[in-house]
Amino acid sequence: MTSSPNASDDTSPERVIELRLPSRLGYEKIAMDAAGALARRMGFQADRVDALRTALAEAVTNAIEHGNQHDDAMKVLVMLTVRQDELVVSVADQGRKVLDQDKLTLTPSIEESFIKADRGGWGIWLIRELVDEVEFTTGPGGSNHVRMVIHLDKVTDGRGAGNVGR
Amino acid sequence: MLEDELNVSIRERDQVAIIDLMGDVTTFAEEKINTAYTKVTEIGAKKILLNFRQNDYINSAGIAILIGVVTEVNRNSQRLAVSGLSQHFQRIFRMVGLSQYIDIYQDEEEALHGLASA
Repeated sequence: MTSSPNASDDTSPERVIELRLPSRLGYEKIAMDAAGALARRMGFQADRVDALRTALAEAVTNAIEHGNQHDDAMKVLVMLTVRQDELVVSVADQGRKVLDQDKLTLTPSIEESFIKADRGGWGIWLIRELVDEVEFTTGPGGSNHVRMVIHLDKVTDGRGAGNVGR
Repeated sequence: MLEDELNVSIRERDQVAIIDLMGDVTTFAEEKINTAYTKVTEIGAKKILLNFRQNDYINSAGIAILIGVVTEVNRNSQRLAVSGLSQHFQRIFRMVGLSQYIDIYQDEEEALHGLASA
């Protein structure tokens, strides 16, 4: 796993697509459609494309709701980096609120959800389950970054990939 | 344009209350889904089918809403099934554990057949 969201791969040219989205719910669908179209063209199987779409939707939704606190003036930056054998998807908010670190490793259970008033908490868990690599970091200004990677033609590697590849 | 894209309607077939969900099941869906569930429960439905349309978008907020429905279904001793979910969302339902509480069918006909013998 590389340490920087912008780290480049020395062996293959990168192509980067950037999306700058308003912090309003619903715009995550634009990001998931763009990433899905790109992943399909890269040759990812339909189930991997669906997994990426869901993971990205959750990351952007978190950025809108929590990181940027629904503030329309704040943007969510989505970067899609195409590499020869993988797609790197980064999501950054402007950090009105830093993500609760405890939530990043939480494994929710449906039985607990039945008795809690708040039945949420599934988003970050889904991201972790659906992509091959994921990294949550906080930028200097308090912005939250999520970096997700899905590998092309790699069936089992890392957490969650076994579920994805089948 | 991008926010509330869900149509919810109710009908009945073979003593099954069918709630058709056409569109996105996200945070905006909560009131519509809960209202539909309350309506079918008030008219005494014991078997409820949530009929999805393939390839719509369900996110974690939508999953939380469905967990809420399961909570009520269990409390009211009803039976809940879903149909029309894409393979992807069938998998998500299994991952989350919803499939332990909801019968998953490929389509409406299969669901009605399954619920008739339930």
